[in-house]
Amino acid sequence: MSRGLWSRETVALMLIASCLPMTLSWLWFGGLLELAELSLTLLAVSMWHIVFMLLRAQPPSLSAVTTAIAIAMLAPEELGVFRMVLGISFGVVMGELVFGGWGRNVVNPATVTLSFLGFGFPSFVWPIFDEPVAWAVLPAALIGMATGAMPAAVVLGATIFGAIAFMWGGLSEPVIMVAGIVLVLVVADPVTSAATTLGRWINGGLYAALTTLFAVGWAGAAPVQIAVAAALLSSLAAPLLDETALAIWVGRRRRRHGRS
Amino acid sequence: MPARPDYWRILTQPLIRQNPVTLQILGICSALAVTTTLVTSLTMSVSLTVVLTLSTGIISAIRRHIPDSIRLIVQIVIVASLVIVIDQILQAYFAEISRALSVYVGLITTNCLVLGRTEAYARHHFPIPAMIDGFGNGLGYSLILIVIGGLRELLGKGALFGIQILPLADAGGWFTPLSLMLLAPSAFFLLGLLVWAIRWILPEQAEASEHPEALRPEPAE
Repeated sequence: MSRGLWSRETVALMLIASCLPMTLSWLWFGGLLELAELSLTLLAVSMWHIVFMLLRAQPPSLSAVTTAIAIAMLAPEELGVFRMVLGISFGVVMGELVFGGWGRNVVNPATVTLSFLGFGFPSFVWPIFDEPVAWAVLPAALIGMATGAMPAAVVLGATIFGAIAFMWGGLSEPVIMVAGIVLVLVVADPVTSAATTLGRWINGGLYAALTTLFAVGWAGAAPVQIAVAAALLSSLAAPLLDETALAIWVGRRRRRHGRS
Repeated sequence: MPARPDYWRILTQPLIRQNPVTLQILGICSALAVTTTLVTSLTMSVSLTVVLTLSTGIISAIRRHIPDSIRLIVQIVIVASLVIVIDQILQAYFAEISRALSVYVGLITTNCLVLGRTEAYARHHFPIPAMIDGFGNGLGYSLILIVIGGLRELLGKGALFGIQILPLADAGGWFTPLSLMLLAPSAFFLLGLLVWAIRWILPEQAEASEHPEALRPEPAE
């Protein structure tokens, strides 16, 4: 799957580039503590990539950086080194590396890690974000869509449905901010989101719809928790959406051209 | 059939090499449901081993008298009668464990493992080897259940058999229980990891690839 300059690693680099404005502003407001957290997640994720390179000859990927950024930004606060490394080990190994590395996984490793941490240690507080960090979602989405690293249909589908839900009153402002951050970090992932155009639109819409549903009906849940749960469920639904889109396409061709 | 079957081999093959749970992926439902604590896993293992040994013995003894067309019904009737007896014994003497196991003892009747062994082995062999095979398969099942149950109780509560092993953080120790371990998904994860570990050590257990090599190009670097 490489054409000219574009290989798997170019896509990973573009994803890092698009997350960079958001990550830097997050580090700017968070200070040294967040930098330490990011170093820890980077170290843990890269360690597993290297272990799998040595043991199973799987080429390591720069996608480890995006995974580490997503986990560092979204993980519950003050978990401590041991729990963080445990969650990362589970998420990165079971979510990505056992499938053969980045590009073959069905769920985003960061989503798996965050869900594991959320279910496993429910007493820890989910993070909240400063407003400028949430605004940095816009350049992230723009860079991602312009370079083609993020599937535009997913981002747009989520934006349109989110806007409708906001006007209807289902989404409050803090939830929208966090949902945007989660959207660019883990949902609009070229690997684990849907692969057909129609599937991508529905995938984005489904993410926004689930976020709205949880925001309305899940009492006492933190915004990050809501968005991560919606991300996990929508990425699990992505293959089904693709299958549906393909079935529609095949059916249309069959009607148009007779038996194919 | 050889004159003297190798009983030791029949007994030990299902422990790891032909393990019913990790190789044939049979009996998963109960393996996932009852492994929250070591006590329930142990009770379930013993119940299943007893039922499996006795039912393979009985079915093997009457194997020449069972009409082929209704053999499954006959097998299920025999297994179900044994299960009911076990269930009654548990309710009479171990009421609390029986309540914790809820329907899963009754569901031994429909456990694929029991029907699989009676159908595949007991129907074609003498009672003694059939019972040894049933006992070995019961032990293989028990091994997996006890490993998973022990891990889940140790990591989820810091205890084994209800006795606190790891000092809890609430009581001034260092161990924070992983409450995820007490939920059903963790049994899936642990079983998956266990299957992975076993197939890594014994690569001949790995299943053949579903897709031919030519259709799976390596990711370009």
